Amino acid sequence: MKKSYEKPFIKKIQVGLMNKFGAAYGRHIRSEIDGVPVAELTARYGSPVFVFSERRLRDRYQSIHQAFASRYPNVNFSWSYKTNYLDAVCAILHQEGEGAEVVSELEYQKARRLGVPGSEIIYNGPYKTMDSLKTAVQEGATINIDHFDEIYDLEEVAKGLERQVKVGIRLNMDTGISPQWTRFGFNLESGQALDAVKRLVSGKRLILNGIHCHIGTFILDPQAYSRAITKMVEFSYQVEDAFGLKMEYLDIGGGLPSENRLKGIYLSPDVAIPPMDDYAEAICNTLLSKLRPNDFPTLILESGRTMVDEAGFLITTTHASKRLPDDSRAYVIDAGVNALFTAFWYNFRVELEKDIPGPHEPCTLFGPLCMNIDVVADQVILPPLPRGTRLIFSPVGAYNVTQWMQFIRSRPAIVLINNEGFPEIIREAEGLEDLIQRERLPKHLKLS
Amino acid sequence: MNKLSSLALNEEGFVFDPTTGNSFTTNDIGLSIIRYLKEGKDSEEILRSLLDDFEIDSDTAQRDLIDFLAQLRVYRLFEGS
Amino acid sequence: MNEISIAVSGINAVDNPGPGVGVVRSIKEDKSLQVKVSGLAYDAMEPGIYLDWLMDRSFVMPYPSSAGADYLARLLYIKETAGLDVVIPTLDAELPFYIKNERELAGHGINTFLPDKEQFDLRSKEHLTDVADKIGLSVPPTEVVTSHSELTAALDRVGFPAMIKGIFYKAYRVHNHLEAESAFHKIVNEWGYPVLVQKIVQGDEINVIGVGDGAGESLGNMAIKKLWITDLGKIWTGVTIDNEPVNRATELFLKKYSWRGAFEIECIAAGDKIYLIEINPRFPAWVYFATGAGINLPARLLRAALGLPFERDSTYKPGRLYIRYTYDMVTDADTFQKIITRGES
Repeated sequence: MKKSYEKPFIKKIQVGLMNKFGAAYGRHIRSEIDGVPVAELTARYGSPVFVFSERRLRDRYQSIHQAFASRYPNVNFSWSYKTNYLDAVCAILHQEGEGAEVVSELEYQKARRLGVPGSEIIYNGPYKTMDSLKTAVQEGATINIDHFDEIYDLEEVAKGLERQVKVGIRLNMDTGISPQWTRFGFNLESGQALDAVKRLVSGKRLILNGIHCHIGTFILDPQAYSRAITKMVEFSYQVEDAFGLKMEYLDIGGGLPSENRLKGIYLSPDVAIPPMDDYAEAICNTLLSKLRPNDFPTLILESGRTMVDEAGFLITTTHASKRLPDDSRAYVIDAGVNALFTAFWYNFRVELEKDIPGPHEPCTLFGPLCMNIDVVADQVILPPLPRGTRLIFSPVGAYNVTQWMQFIRSRPAIVLINNEGFPEIIREAEGLEDLIQRERLPKHLKLS
Repeated sequence: MNKLSSLALNEEGFVFDPTTGNSFTTNDIGLSIIRYLKEGKDSEEILRSLLDDFEIDSDTAQRDLIDFLAQLRVYRLFEGS
Repeated sequence: MNEISIAVSGINAVDNPGPGVGVVRSIKEDKSLQVKVSGLAYDAMEPGIYLDWLMDRSFVMPYPSSAGADYLARLLYIKETAGLDVVIPTLDAELPFYIKNERELAGHGINTFLPDKEQFDLRSKEHLTDVADKIGLSVPPTEVVTSHSELTAALDRVGFPAMIKGIFYKAYRVHNHLEAESAFHKIVNEWGYPVLVQKIVQGDEINVIGVGDGAGESLGNMAIKKLWITDLGKIWTGVTIDNEPVNRATELFLKKYSWRGAFEIECIAAGDKIYLIEINPRFPAWVYFATGAGINLPARLLRAALGLPFERDSTYKPGRLYIRYTYDMVTDADTFQKIITRGES
């Protein structure tokens, strides 16, 4: 009887690195996503392939919505398009009841095209074109003003339309976290925000009816939201008392973390990230304790990352293995930072399709690009991987399929596993045609 | 003299080099290969032994053996070919 | 009495020692307890592994940065193979896992005696100021930085010399921007953001060790002054003291926050001011000092974790001396080989 085989290895024991387990213990296997085998997905759609789970997305929305709606009577979610503006993903969240939160005319048009009425769109951002502002006003979108120049633009739109226009303003403030975001909106502490309100009021064309704020990203301290809400409520009553303007909504923006491992945070996300209930409690309890009796302005949340990140997976395949001069192991895989842009700030969970015997060691995963920066993951603890091994990255649902780039390689396909557990393509893999269709070659440059 | 003969091995894959004081870990197959080398077998004989003893095809075994011997050379535990 | 199986981490008794060995030694000195100890290590070279008169078994753990599920799986494996009734984690980086999973662990019959999340968070800079206020102590100017430019700005305000500190570990004394930058990068690379920049206050280092019962009372506490400190800032000799403002601050700290579990309060006495430098939500490395002075805090904590009766008496004689010394031991490679290949011994 022959013994089972395992690739031979020998490893020098190094002082300071004598831990058999390191950063991983046990098996990290993902043979299927929502019941669909990884092998089936790659057989049908190739590799790499992004896979989104409709069930996970809906479940996530419902549990987050529940966390807030059970604590405050007037909550509204608005889907952050920039996080993921795939039609299918947006449509699922719109079906669940989310509006659209857009930050460009392109995103605005995409939401409208998908069937979202203007009145359910929130238009944010520092760069809104004159034309898009006019359309947004005409279609009844909620507009949160970012800077003084936008006040002038909107007044011009209002003048052209010969009516008053309701607007919100975005504030930035010190909520005790760092870095403090100061580049968007009007600063509260310096008095700039109040100046903006005074300016709005004196122009007589715009009517302030909402306050917007977005304190940062991947916020790990729920109390930061509590401080933001406190300041927003105080400011809205200050405005109400001074100018008789009633704030109909308080938009707390997004910034809630997903269960991703942010580089620079030592602890694992399941330990470091507070539960959603802690955020809901910090926001809603503060709101209820600071609001005047019987005043329940709409609480708007523009959560993106926390909503969609865990619904996304990327299946990749090892193409080659390398032993680097420092004796560490590396693999070349078929998806790089071109597809997985957020690899620059996350250390993703990396799972194997099936168990592979052999000693685990820290490995670097290089993407397929002929560029030194194309490192998808480093210090991942993996067994010796044969060529063609499937590696599943997650969570990758947020920001990748909007920030990905067509660079050297074309973008991979995206598949949705629907609620019934069947995979459907929601974005085809790109090819040469997508690369060249907008190009024009001047006649004198034609080769032969 | 070949360094290999002085290496102390234990059943669990712990390898100690008494000349340098370095320690190493290896797995079953690695241990078998080191033992074959200590017995003075050349790579062809080792390959045959591996194919006799283990559930493996000749191509993979050959590729892995070349890689393993290269690692031994990196650690200066082996100078042959 | 039945045999109790416990696990203790921080058995890295090196030049920057963890508290584990002192904790185990203390517990083994409580002759009315029959305890079997598993040492939890993060490296095969942690000396505790080789102290076979203290550790009955040793296990290598995945790093505290690994997924909670992995860490838990390892603890459950240890429970299965060696038994595990109580874990006493002694390293800061481990505590968030244990605090978050306290109930889950209890469900598996693994008890802890730790502060809750809110108490644990008190040690953050912003809370520390508040805590100091409430217990009648002062705080040296401290800033939180998350970028290079913030670091430079903070140093301009705080001045030199300053301490650059990581959120969990590592503190560097720096005298100029170059040193500060290097310290900042070292900390960020290993422990991430944020980084604290603190003004150095000159004075006597006064520390309090204790255990809170979670209801505002003490299971025992003791104050010391550090007499001799190594280059790494670690105590080498110390003396027990009876300092009224510090005693009062300790009492207030327990009362106001209903602290549960081990703690160390680090202060600096400068003139008539006492500055609160840090609150550590665990035993300090010199924990055996208290045991030697008659207050066996680890044993009391273990009893509290198991719901056994314990003493609360905190009387000790001021002027008792603590002298740390080095010890050379020689062993063959058996244990080392096992730890390397099996991850346990």
